[in-house]
Amino acid sequence: MNRANGAIQLWVVHAACCVRRGFRAGAMICATTAALLAAIGIAQAQSQAPQSEPPKTDTAQPGPSQTTVPPGTPPSATVFDKSYVQGVLGKDVRSATGEDMGRIVDVVVDSAGEPRAAVIDFGGFLGVGSRKVAVDWNALHFSPSDKPSEVTLSLSRDQVKAAPEYGDKKPVVVLGPTGTVHPMMPQDEPAKPE
Amino acid sequence: MWWGTHRRGVRAASGKVVERAPAPASSSRAGLDWLNFFIANVQTGFGPFISVYLTTQQWTQVDIGLVLTVSGAFALLGQIPAGVLVDAMASKRLAAAIAAVAIAGSALALAAWPIFPMVLLAELLHGAASCLMTPAIAAISLGLVSRTEIGERLGRNARFASIGNGLAAALMGACGRLVSTRAVFVLAAAFAIPALAALRHIKPAEIDPVRARGGTPEVHPRTLAARLHGITDNKPLLIFGGCLVLFHLANGAMLPLMASVVTMRSREWATVLIAACIVAPQLLVAVLSPWIGRQAEKWGRWPLLVVGFAALAIRGAFFIFVASPYLLVAVQLLDGVSAAVIGVMLPLVVSDITRGTGRFNAALGVVGTAGAIGATLSTTLAGYLSDDFGSPLAFACLAGIAAAGALMVAGLMPETRPTRD
Repeated sequence: MNRANGAIQLWVVHAACCVRRGFRAGAMICATTAALLAAIGIAQAQSQAPQSEPPKTDTAQPGPSQTTVPPGTPPSATVFDKSYVQGVLGKDVRSATGEDMGRIVDVVVDSAGEPRAAVIDFGGFLGVGSRKVAVDWNALHFSPSDKPSEVTLSLSRDQVKAAPEYGDKKPVVVLGPTGTVHPMMPQDEPAKPE
Repeated sequence: MWWGTHRRGVRAASGKVVERAPAPASSSRAGLDWLNFFIANVQTGFGPFISVYLTTQQWTQVDIGLVLTVSGAFALLGQIPAGVLVDAMASKRLAAAIAAVAIAGSALALAAWPIFPMVLLAELLHGAASCLMTPAIAAISLGLVSRTEIGERLGRNARFASIGNGLAAALMGACGRLVSTRAVFVLAAAFAIPALAALRHIKPAEIDPVRARGGTPEVHPRTLAARLHGITDNKPLLIFGGCLVLFHLANGAMLPLMASVVTMRSREWATVLIAACIVAPQLLVAVLSPWIGRQAEKWGRWPLLVVGFAALAIRGAFFIFVASPYLLVAVQLLDGVSAAVIGVMLPLVVSDITRGTGRFNAALGVVGTAGAIGATLSTTLAGYLSDDFGSPLAFACLAGIAAAGALMVAGLMPETRPTRD
C-alpha cells in the first residue's frame, strides 16, 4: 500500500473499475479509499483556490464551490454546438488503419482536472476476454463533424494488447503514442508490458 | 435456417407418432430437444455481453457493476424458491412458458430502455425467469421418459442446449459487429417464439407429474422448512453440492482469464481465437453428451464425475505453461469434456438422490445455488490472483481447486445409480 500513500497525482472520475472488484480485500479497499479521499480533498482544494481569483463573471459554476455563491444567483450557461463538443463514454475507438480498438469506458484526469488518459475496454468476444487499458489522452483524436460516434487512436492493436490492465489499486500506466510505457507515479518501478 | 430445420424436424417426427402408453411420442421428444435449443439461443444474449451493451449506452463501469452484482445475487438466491415452486406447480409446461416469455420480455426491455431502473428490473426478471426455466426443463425431461432412459434424455438436453449456445454466440457476435449491440437483444427475444412453439409440441398428458418432481404421490407440505426437509439432511446431496462449489470455483474464471491472456498475446486473431474457445467446447458437448448419458447407466455416475473434474484440473494445469494461443484453444477443448459431464450428471445425480422424496426441483435449486456461489467467488478470486501475482499463479490455484474437487468426488461421493429393478 506504500504506493497509494505517496503523492497521488491522479484521481479517477467515477471512482471507476467494477464494483465486483470491490469485494476483493476489505482492508485494502479501506486504505485505498482513505488515500483516494485524501487525494480528492487535495484536488478540490487546489481546484477551488484559483477559482475565486479570476473575477471573470459574477456567476459561479455549480459544484463544490457552492458555499461561496450567494443564494439566488443564476448559473452561467455556455452553449456549444453539437459539432464542437461531444460525450466520450461508450465511444467506439479505431486505430489509424481502422482496427477495432474497443470502447472508451472511463477518463482519467489529474489533480488539475485535465484529462490525462482514456480507459478503453479492448478486445474480447461477446464481452469475454476484454481488457481495460489506459491510453494517452493526446493519442486520441476526435472528429465530431465526420463520424461523431468514432474516435481515432494513434496506436495499433499490437501496441495496446500487451499493456498492463487498468485497475483501481494499481498505479495508472498510460500507453503513449510512441509505444513506450510511462508510469505516472515516479516512485514506482515502471510496469513492463510482456 | 434454424426455423426451417425446426419445422421440418417436428413434422417429420410427428409423422410417425408412437402411441405406446409409457413411451412419450416422438413429437414430445423433438419438442423438448428444440425447447433446449431455442432457450439456449435466448440465454446466450445475456451474460458478459450485457456489460458491452451498457458501455455503448454510455453507462459508467460503476453502474454496470452494480446492476450485474445485484442481479447476480438475486439469481443465486432465487434458485431454491424457484425449485420449490416448480415442484408444487401442476403444469411444468406452464412454468417453462412463463419463464420463456419473461426472459424474452427482459431482453426486449434491455433493448428498448437502457436506463438504470429498467435495466435493473429487466435483469431481475431475467434472473427469476432463469431460476424457473432450468428446473422446469429438467422436470419436463424427468416426467417425460422412464427411469432407465433419463440419462440419455438429459444428454440430449445438453446436446441441443450447447448447439444452441454455440450457434447463437456466433450469430450474436456477427450481429453485434455488423448491426448493433442493441440488435443482439432483439434477436435474443425473437428466439423465444420458436421456443414457445417447441414447448407446444410437448404433450402435457405425457409428462408424469409424480415422476417430474422425483417423487411419490404424497400431499405437499405447506411450509418452506417442511419442503426443504429431506434436502438439508441428505448427505449425498450435500457432498455433491460441495463438489459443485469447488467445480465452479475452479471453472468460472478459467475461460475469461484465458481469453484475457489470448487478448494480451495474440495479434489480430485474438477475437477469432476467443470465439473459437467459446464455440469449440460447445460442439464437443453436443457430440459427447448423449453418449455420457448412456454410459452413466452402464458405468455408473461416479467414474464419469471423476473424469469431468479431472479434465478441469488438467485444463487449468495446461494453462499455467502453455503460451501459444493456438495450443490454448486445443486445451480449451477439455472444457467440453467437463461441461458435458457436469451438464448431464447434475440433473441425473440429483434425480437419483431425490428419488421418492418429491423434491427433485428444490434439490436442483440447492446444488444450483452451490454452483452459483462457486462461480461468483471464482471471478473475484482469479481477478485478485492474476492482478497481484500474474495469470500463471491464478491458473495454478484454479487447477488446485479443481484437483481438490476431483479428490472430493473420488473419495466422498457415493455411486448414486439406482440398482436395477
